[in-house]
Amino acid sequence: MSVSGPAAESAPSALSAAGRSGRRVRLAGLLAAPLTWLVVVYLGSLALLLVQAFWSVDTFTGKVRHEITTANFEQVLRESVYRTITVRTLGIAVAVTVLCVLIALPMALYMAKVASPRAQRWLVIAVLAPLWASYLVKAYAWRGMLANGGVLEWLRLPTPGFGVAATIIVLTYLWLPYMVLPIYAGLERLPNSLLDASGDLGAPAGRTLRSVVLPMIMPSVIAGTVFTFSLSLGDYIAVNLVGGTTQMLGNAIFVNVGAANNLPFAAALAFVSVGIIVVYLLLVRRSGALREL
Amino acid sequence: MTLSRGARALLTACVGLGLAFLYVPLVVVVVNSFNVERTFGWPPKGLTLEWWGKAIDNEGARTALLTSLKAGAGATVIALVLGTLLAFAVQRYQWFGRETVSLLVVLPIALPGIVTGVALKGTVLDVLDPVFGISFGLFTIIAGHATFCLVVVFNNVVARLRRTGGSLEEASMDLGANGVQTFRHVTLPAIRSAVLAGGLLAFGLSFDEIVVTTFTAGPGTQTLPIWIFNNLARPNQAPVVNVVAAVVIVLAVLPVYLSQRLSGGDAAGGGRL
Repeated sequence: MSVSGPAAESAPSALSAAGRSGRRVRLAGLLAAPLTWLVVVYLGSLALLLVQAFWSVDTFTGKVRHEITTANFEQVLRESVYRTITVRTLGIAVAVTVLCVLIALPMALYMAKVASPRAQRWLVIAVLAPLWASYLVKAYAWRGMLANGGVLEWLRLPTPGFGVAATIIVLTYLWLPYMVLPIYAGLERLPNSLLDASGDLGAPAGRTLRSVVLPMIMPSVIAGTVFTFSLSLGDYIAVNLVGGTTQMLGNAIFVNVGAANNLPFAAALAFVSVGIIVVYLLLVRRSGALREL
Repeated sequence: MTLSRGARALLTACVGLGLAFLYVPLVVVVVNSFNVERTFGWPPKGLTLEWWGKAIDNEGARTALLTSLKAGAGATVIALVLGTLLAFAVQRYQWFGRETVSLLVVLPIALPGIVTGVALKGTVLDVLDPVFGISFGLFTIIAGHATFCLVVVFNNVVARLRRTGGSLEEASMDLGANGVQTFRHVTLPAIRSAVLAGGLLAFGLSFDEIVVTTFTAGPGTQTLPIWIFNNLARPNQAPVVNVVAAVVIVLAVLPVYLSQRLSGGDAAGGGRL
């Protein structure tokens, strides 16, 4: 998750011309296969998706018409259903992101600055492990938590039932590790001497947190929000399982790919979420958060 | 950091609650797979192994498990090769576009899976099928998984390469070893465990994936998560689904545990996404 900027490795300075061209050949050899894969398969597919968004489906034959039209985007903007869905999806993504930050900050703080080195290692594993448990099964698990006669009721906790609130809880649950880990990594890098200095100068813990810790780990927090925000925007399975009749952008995309058989319109919808993410990435780029991803 | 006892207790409580939040639902799934009743009720009225037996005999689940294993193996092999190559290029060489490529690699996990899924589906429908005659099936599942599995291998190997630096290889070359010898005796031992850890995590990621798979599997092929999803709608399958869900959770712990062992205390380097 955290490819912090590639370390600047100075190439040996006195290279012969032959050595340099040999180096170039080796680099080309290393890059050829992976770049072909990423550029052709992945970027190529994304580019095709963008092109498809400008195609349309013949309502009579159900076949894709390969002519450029902006009809899909017009429909997305014009029909209030899609505006409502977009606004709802955004709202859910923001709520999930805020909740994740609020839960992850104290957890990461404890892991990085309070726990013993041994406990620290186990806590990292404990936070990491659920990431590898199936996303589907984790979402499914919450049906049993939230249902009537479910675990929450048994624990005497209030249960919101299936709906928007349940969706927010489950998405928070699903993406929480993505928030804890970058914040933890950021705190790890924060020298203890800074905290001690702040304490020596008379700042109580709260003040140190506000004036020293938070400003310095902001890029890590934002890196975490990129994950929680983006993952929430694209979700359709968790909503499907615990959202009741709630529809998010992901559901609309899914329905248009499948039942409605309108891939061009699904592509246009997909680009709504890509557009939102790109805007978000541009907004946070200046904070240096993207190097923390 | 110097904290008052109250603040320390508060932080500890936050961690406890956070971990409970992460783990209680998983425990519920595992316990529920032994529930005697067909419908969900908590706490279970009694425990039984009956559903585990039924699940083991379930033809659909077994076929799906086999497909998942094949897809995971295929995707992991591709990801291992491509991810390791790319990690060397990014970490050991200076070149134009290096920063852009390091960003491009994480894109498949930073963009929502559904976008990747729809994009790949379009490519299969419009390019692979008409031009190359490759339609939906195991191959397209593997191709889709490899795209994001590459990221974990890349991240693990890059982290290791960054930590070991290039000086050992330079020393080896200075002492007269050629490129192949240096790679075999110096580079490979240094990165082996990171490559293995990356491969394990890639396999784990592929084994659990459902969103991209939904769009690249086609109607005839089911991975285990797809099988679970398709059977969620059938109430009389619920007990078997619960068992399969529990198996998936327990199996997911394995790669994490093994990759942590492999990375030997390098908590940040082992098991990173």
